[in-house]
Amino acid sequence: MERSIGRIAIGAVVAFLLQIVAAPNIAVAGAQPNFALAYVLVVAIVRPDEAGNVMPFLLGLACDLMGTGPVGAEAFLFTLASFGASRAFMVLDNDTLFMPLAIFSAATLLVELSYGCLLMLLGLQASFADAFMYRVLPCSLFTIVVGLVLYPILMRLLRVGQMTRGAGIPVIR
Amino acid sequence: MALNFQQRGRSGASSGLLALFLAVSLILVIIYTREGDVGPLHRAQATMSGLLAPVQMAGAPVGAATAQMQDVVVDATVDEESLSALREQNRQLVAQYAQGEEDRLEAERLRGLLGLKDAYEMEGVAARIIGRSTQAWSQTVTVDAGSAEGVDAGQTVMGATGVVGQVIDVADHSATVRLLTDPNSGAAAMVQSSRAEGIVRGSLEGLLYLEDVAADKQVSLGDVVITSGLGGSYVKGLIIGTVAKIDMRQGDSLRRIVVAANDAPELLEEVFVVFTVGAEDAAAVSASTHRERVRQQQAAAQGDGQGSSDDAAASGEGSGGGSGDDADDGAESGGGDQGGSAGDAAGDQSGDTGAGSQGAEDGQSGDEGVSAGEGGDR
Repeated sequence: MERSIGRIAIGAVVAFLLQIVAAPNIAVAGAQPNFALAYVLVVAIVRPDEAGNVMPFLLGLACDLMGTGPVGAEAFLFTLASFGASRAFMVLDNDTLFMPLAIFSAATLLVELSYGCLLMLLGLQASFADAFMYRVLPCSLFTIVVGLVLYPILMRLLRVGQMTRGAGIPVIR
Repeated sequence: MALNFQQRGRSGASSGLLALFLAVSLILVIIYTREGDVGPLHRAQATMSGLLAPVQMAGAPVGAATAQMQDVVVDATVDEESLSALREQNRQLVAQYAQGEEDRLEAERLRGLLGLKDAYEMEGVAARIIGRSTQAWSQTVTVDAGSAEGVDAGQTVMGATGVVGQVIDVADHSATVRLLTDPNSGAAAMVQSSRAEGIVRGSLEGLLYLEDVAADKQVSLGDVVITSGLGGSYVKGLIIGTVAKIDMRQGDSLRRIVVAANDAPELLEEVFVVFTVGAEDAAAVSASTHRERVRQQQAAAQGDGQGSSDDAAASGEGSGGGSGDDADDGAESGGGDQGGSAGDAAGDQSGDTGAGSQGAEDGQSGDEGVSAGEGGDR
């Protein structure tokens, strides 16, 4: 338990560093991936029962402080998205790759969309269509790609030590 | 039963924590939106950006590699027609290269003599860019000069050839600059030749727009756009870019103009934070600087014994407009390669947004002397 929390914390630091070092430099046409969001959501899906609220909140707050948007917005959305994704996965998991991917994608799109809407509410000079076409959609796709890479890695790292179950054995909840 | 109770207890604590964090987040957002630009949360943001900006520099090689990859993808997907056009342009470019190299060397010497700073009699501080925005929603950079160096919020920031943005947050030894391409930016500006006024705004697609320009004012492709100084947020008379495209529907009383920025934000490495400009005589100084430059170019052209073709090329480098008008205005110093880089930027920007050919053509038509190859080479 403590070991996995330590791993999650280290992963959060790495995600934050990737966000400030790599994300601005791999931007394509202004769209960049959100490593922090991808990490928060993948952890919520990989460890739905242990994914707490502290890491998403702190990671979101750190991202807020590094950016120029409203402080607290990403902290709010990360916390909410992490909670929602973990609960959705606990209910909907059907032991296929589709469900985590669907939950991850939906949560990413919702977070990006909500963040964009919040910025527009606070005075961002852009139309909803522009915001969706030029930021929400490309950033979400970029983040989903990052999530696809992160998911197997974190599956391996965070599920080490957990009892593995054989194929075909149902999950009892 | 006991286990169930324990789980229920944990779940309750977790829900409480969730509610607490959500409440704290919302309170932070409300405080942030209500506090001024110098509020504690804004200050915390500026300080964090300054502290972690050096870490961001570690990603520079990644950025270079990404840019190269994008070029490779673009190059690999061109069709045969584009390839032929590019070959033809390449042939022309090779022919122009020798002349261009001469012009470049001359421009460098002139820049050394009549640098932007001296031309405008600017007081300020040069700063290196040490970080870029970590969020896709904003176009900002962090520079390594802050309040200790005299930088203050609201000051204009210049690139090598024109205005690039404005300081929005300041820490002790760093400052955050909102680029003109940020959707939240806004600079009162005007078209140099016709004095048509409007507001230059950034956009999410990365283009600069000069909005609210009266339809009855004459505006042509290649016209120079400068800050008008209205509202006091930007210093008057500094060059922003050139007109790359004019959007107008019949019956509209206002036009929207696409401006090709003089400095491509993604290529910026150093900037100059302007404290003051010799405001009262800036226009006169710049006009005389411009006249002096034209005189030198003519003298050089005559000295080389090269006829009117060189003159045409030299005068085409500026704004693409008449030199008489340009000389009257102050924003034209350094125009030697401003025109060229503007055409370049037009191709650059519109290439990024999928409207490449139009932007490139616009860049070319605005400045035939220099940018014929620049738009096409993207």
